[in-house]
Amino acid sequence: MNVGSRRKAENIIALFLSFLAAFFGIFWLVFILGDVLVHGIGALKLSLFLNDPVPPGVSGGGLRNAFAGQMLITLFATFIGVPLGVLGGTFLAEYARGTRVAAVISILSDIMVSVPSIVIGTFIYAVLVRPLGHFSGWAGAAALAVIMVPVVLRTTEDMLSLVPWTLREAAFALGAPYYKVIIQVVYRAAATGIFTGILLAVARVAGETAPLLFTSFNNAYFSLNMNGPISSLTATIFQYAMGPYDDWHAQAWAASFVITATVLLITIVGRILISWRLK
Amino acid sequence: MAEIVDIEAKGLNFYYSGNVHAIKDVNISAYKKKVTALIGPSGCGKTTLLRCYNRMHDLYPKNRYEGEVIFEGRNILGKDIDIISLRSRIGMVFQKPTPFPMSVFDNIAYGLRLKGIKNRGELSERVEKALRNAAIWDEVFGKLNVSAYELSGGQQQRLCIARALAVEPEIILFDEPTSALDPISTGKIEELIVELKKNVTIIIVTHNMQQAARISDWTGFMMLGELIEFDKTEKMFTAPNEKLTEDYITGRFG
Repeated sequence: MNVGSRRKAENIIALFLSFLAAFFGIFWLVFILGDVLVHGIGALKLSLFLNDPVPPGVSGGGLRNAFAGQMLITLFATFIGVPLGVLGGTFLAEYARGTRVAAVISILSDIMVSVPSIVIGTFIYAVLVRPLGHFSGWAGAAALAVIMVPVVLRTTEDMLSLVPWTLREAAFALGAPYYKVIIQVVYRAAATGIFTGILLAVARVAGETAPLLFTSFNNAYFSLNMNGPISSLTATIFQYAMGPYDDWHAQAWAASFVITATVLLITIVGRILISWRLK
Repeated sequence: MAEIVDIEAKGLNFYYSGNVHAIKDVNISAYKKKVTALIGPSGCGKTTLLRCYNRMHDLYPKNRYEGEVIFEGRNILGKDIDIISLRSRIGMVFQKPTPFPMSVFDNIAYGLRLKGIKNRGELSERVEKALRNAAIWDEVFGKLNVSAYELSGGQQQRLCIARALAVEPEIILFDEPTSALDPISTGKIEELIVELKKNVTIIIVTHNMQQAARISDWTGFMMLGELIEFDKTEKMFTAPNEKLTEDYITGRFG
């Protein structure tokens, strides 16, 4: 066999294997999404968003409590996590650029990103739930914020590092102090990228269940009190899917569909923003 | 006409990261309302020298100056110098255009706002003046609110010149301002520089010998961190004193 035809054969084998691997991955993804879609859309009713849960067997119940709780927890997690992440990323990319401290924090954040979220849930349980003696929405928000911080921090750091140094120098050359260079020029140049990172971090925590089970727990009633246990979609899906009632299963499917669609939407918006930025 | 020294380096040495000796005992003057060109092979220290004039090296840790740069009777390398106000008096234009991610108007107004000018009327007036002085007003007066990124490369570079002009500096430093531009844009920038010297002192680093010959009044030739020769441009390009200068200018090396 000459070199040319051997290379062709190798090429075909490699192509076939990579095609197979890609197909295997996509098959399960489509399967899962399709399943959620089919079961979810069927169970999707307006009452799901407007009514609170009713006892099993009674018809017409909804998950208003879980939607409200989920939104509150995610919102507060964002309020806590995003400023910390953005400021931390700014510190790493600007003030501590090139130092050992920055490198160490960067690596630690990368490790934090891959720490199982249940570990963070138990950590918050130990520092916030046990000392206070009860589950709370705040603990849930704190757990999600801890998950968000390293994601936002690393994206911010990367996006700021992508801004060319000459742009900063140009602002310095006009007599701008460093903090103004960062706020008025660098942030603006990296804005879409940082915003995308925030969106992706929100999307990531919106689907978390494990950390919430240890922190905000769950609540069968409508509650906006962040000081007490509060319902969330993911914890409710977990509870309902495990439960014995068909109504519960249907609602769990519908909630799964809503949360999947929301995360998908946020991610798509994030991706569009990235491609828009790179244009 | 008598030449007045505007900024003068005296026994200037510069070290990158504490020990890379990039500028070696350089003595050079730039005269008021003249164009001084710095030429020399890559890595000779001409850009490094240029960046001493507005203390750009201070942005990076462990850089070290020795000697003096005298501007208006004061050593601007001194610790008591307010670098921020120094930089608003000695502007800089970079190799590649560096428009800020904001509108054309905001780009020009940036330096003015840093100086505390908030009055909308005054801002508009000074933005227009700067754009006119940078010979770009006719091309952008209808696009003041569009992103500066939408301009062409040559326009962006003139925008950056306008931005530097807006704060009315005494000196403008050009770091190879045309190396990223096509010949037509280059021509426009060169005309502009000649026009600008009516009002400001210009120091320009260039790799293009013809450019130095065309637009400068004085030329300094540098090699390996040393200033080999400094003289009137016509003298440098016709009868240089140093053999090295002649070899470089005639293209025998470099």
